[in-house]
Amino acid sequence: MKTTAFAAAFAALFGGLVGIAPAMAEDITIGAVIPLSGASATTGKDQSRGIELAVKQVNANGGVLGKQLKVIVEDSGGKPQTAIDAAKKLVSVDKVPIVIGEYSSGNTIPLGQYLVQEGMPHINPASTSGLVRDIGATSYSVVGLDNVSTEFAAQDVLDHGWKKVAVLAMNNAFGQGVAEEFKKHFTAKGGEVATTVMYTIGQSTYRRELQQVEAAEPDAYVFTAYGTEGALIMQEAFELGMQEGKPWYSILITMMNKDTPAEFKKGLIGMDVGYIGEDGDSYKSEYETAYGETFLSAYGGYAHDAVLFAAAALNKAGSTDKAAVLKAIEDLGKEGVKGATGEIKLDADGQRTHQPYLKFKVEGEKLVAYE
Amino acid sequence: MFDFFIHVASIACLYGVLALSLNLQAGFTGLVNFGLIALFGCGTYGAALASGMGWHPLLGLPAGIAMAALLGLFYARLGRKLSSDYWGIATLSIAEIIRISVTNEQALTGGAQGISGLPLLFAGLKPYDGVARLALYAAVLALVWLFCQRLVKSAFGLSMKLMREEPQLARSLGYDLDRIRRVVMLVSAAIAAFAGFLYAHYLTFVGPDQLVSPETFLIWSMVIIGGIANNRGVIAGAFLMQFAMAYVPFVKDALDLPTDFVAAARLIIVGGGLLAFLLWRPKGLFPEKVGGSNGR
Repeated sequence: MKTTAFAAAFAALFGGLVGIAPAMAEDITIGAVIPLSGASATTGKDQSRGIELAVKQVNANGGVLGKQLKVIVEDSGGKPQTAIDAAKKLVSVDKVPIVIGEYSSGNTIPLGQYLVQEGMPHINPASTSGLVRDIGATSYSVVGLDNVSTEFAAQDVLDHGWKKVAVLAMNNAFGQGVAEEFKKHFTAKGGEVATTVMYTIGQSTYRRELQQVEAAEPDAYVFTAYGTEGALIMQEAFELGMQEGKPWYSILITMMNKDTPAEFKKGLIGMDVGYIGEDGDSYKSEYETAYGETFLSAYGGYAHDAVLFAAAALNKAGSTDKAAVLKAIEDLGKEGVKGATGEIKLDADGQRTHQPYLKFKVEGEKLVAYE
Repeated sequence: MFDFFIHVASIACLYGVLALSLNLQAGFTGLVNFGLIALFGCGTYGAALASGMGWHPLLGLPAGIAMAALLGLFYARLGRKLSSDYWGIATLSIAEIIRISVTNEQALTGGAQGISGLPLLFAGLKPYDGVARLALYAAVLALVWLFCQRLVKSAFGLSMKLMREEPQLARSLGYDLDRIRRVVMLVSAAIAAFAGFLYAHYLTFVGPDQLVSPETFLIWSMVIIGGIANNRGVIAGAFLMQFAMAYVPFVKDALDLPTDFVAAARLIIVGGGLLAFLLWRPKGLFPEKVGGSNGR
């Protein structure tokens, strides 16, 4: 019967799938879940490059526990469900001692919560939402959270003498966090946020949102945007004449600078996480030699450092035993680990205590850091 | 490996329940619903609401089902005025409106950051909690399947199929099409919300990213590949798709392929699989059995 044949084929397929065993290797493996498809795929690519370079560096310096380090990278598809699928695979099949991941807060939080339930060490290499702090006991961040970065931005904006600003941010976990935290710090420091407009990403025009912020008549516009959206916003602001006499300030400016043509971003300034710390120069030159271009985003460096941190923790623990690794991470967090983004120290909640931020201004196509 | 298998099977069971819900609408009644995920979302946010308000977690279930029932009735009401293709577009846009509203209602829903920290079902049974959950989900799937089978084989089921095939004839024979649509939407909305409730207490996180329209189309692809208007078929479709997607990374590891392969392969499985079935086997793996209603 046809149906029976189908059912048989179906069963065979399942059997086959279940039967595929993981490749056993002599290496020490850790896991990483990053977005290699979906909206954040470019950042994911940058993260995977950072990981690759870190593995090279660790192995050139003797590896981990006398063996070679290997990172199994899994795609999160930019979705919480797929991210958790990937983490479950890494934990229960590959039996990795540490999982690094993800990029956007909406995925990092559920991913981290699952790992915490399993008592697994989780290292967040990118998500800056304040909610990351509450993920749980075995979750750590090698990147500073929103409250730290927006405070820096608020101070920077005030230092320029702009007291009344309009805020434009994307309507997702990241944008909502930035808008809320920025307002909090800016108001506390004596500034005024005249209006906050949240925009949906992926639109073909942002004129409505731009005219909305224009109506508030601020001293300056503060915004945050991903690559091509940032480019469109800047272009339309230019076309609407909103750049004439009014300064624009970009929070995490490296996200959008590369995609924006020079004519639409004259005089743009902003801030970003310093993707280069004291030991960052060698990382930058290695990256450029290996991939023939400059950084795709600010987050490759953090993924790089997450791997360095994990490798250092494993070496310190002397084994891949969970309890020993967790203890080693706590100790390392106090002692500090040197990475491409500077020295990484963790506070009592396992979050990075301080990190370098840089002020940037646009000169032609390029971003230049200034003091 | 075993834990991972349990996990994938658990999710597949929940997708199976969703596929059965869509099958009642699209398969048997001809209601082309592109907004299924919003009904599912009522269930997940019902669970989140109970957690946020500090209620007993079980109260999230009636809350979710009540919201889904209202939404289902609204969908059905729209169906009185619109022909089926326009109705499909309307459901798609309503689901999107709901997702965007949820993203913006930060005070109530946590906005884009979602609501996390829901209690995990059977967390106390560690290390057997995964097996316990799978057993529950499988039981739920079996019950829903049994219910759907009985429903479509009943006299009401025949009227559903008549409405799908010949709405004018059905009306001329005195069937109340609005009532049929209403009942089908109510029942299938409750089923979808139930799946959402279980899903929320499995993932322990609820967010608007779970309600994007590609999720609806994933369920559609399960239904079409498995066999539309065949309850056994759509469950097979759900398991096949979920396992194929979840096991792609192992193919990558076994063949030592780059991780980019996984992303591409998943897209090909959903899009290519759907296209291939529509072209060469439009009735799916298990085609509908015509006249198979207990000899009625």
